[in-house]
Amino acid sequence: METRTVESELPIIELEGEVDVYTAPQLKQQMISLLESGAKELVVDLTKVDYLDSTALGVLIGGLKRMRERDGNMALVCPSPRIRRVFEITGLDKIFDIFNTPEEATESMGKETE
Amino acid sequence: MPSSENAACVELKFPCKPEFVGVARLAILGVASRMKFSYDEVEDVRLAVGEACTTSVEWAERNGKTGSDITLRSEIDADKLVVDILDEAGDRGDDGRAGDAEQEPENLGALLITLLVDEVTVVPRNGGTHVRMVKYARTR
Repeated sequence: METRTVESELPIIELEGEVDVYTAPQLKQQMISLLESGAKELVVDLTKVDYLDSTALGVLIGGLKRMRERDGNMALVCPSPRIRRVFEITGLDKIFDIFNTPEEATESMGKETE
Repeated sequence: MPSSENAACVELKFPCKPEFVGVARLAILGVASRMKFSYDEVEDVRLAVGEACTTSVEWAERNGKTGSDITLRSEIDADKLVVDILDEAGDRGDDGRAGDAEQEPENLGALLITLLVDEVTVVPRNGGTHVRMVKYARTR
């Protein structure tokens, strides 16, 4: 799994490859650092992810919960039907705001804070 | 032991550690691709096996059994794929505890497995757990 945090007003975590029991701890660590730095909003970009399991879902749920606790939000970018299906069959597509492009995701965040 | 004379068996033994769950997923992807499964059904099997192995790894970590192995055994039949995941990860305690997905990701894993395969049974075995999953090939 590759991760990259884009430094901007709105932090974006870009994930690549497999996010599973082996690699999800890295994602968790990155989210913790962002939360510690005071971030209230976050976009997680799953465009280049080709596998995602329940461990990853657990970390994403944890992140969303923390962001909402501080009146923030987290959006996901997930254009891949295969990865999106994991959210759909678990019903998590109703909990997360999922977009096809990073632009749509960041735009949605802007609207909510205005 | 194959349940039918024509069944072919593929078996893989690997360390019960996070970095090897991907190896199990690759192996089962190859096996499931030999079945008359759709692309989505092959993905279902890959994800279900990944989840079952992940649960084993999590219990091994909790029970201090990270030096143990997982045996992944798949039986390819004309109309179904039977996958056995046998671990030595110790006792899983009482199942059915309440908890949210963040604290108890295995609940989410268990949910995924039941949604992805046609049958799943989880039984304790000597020193660990035996998970059996069955996915039927749809005859079209």
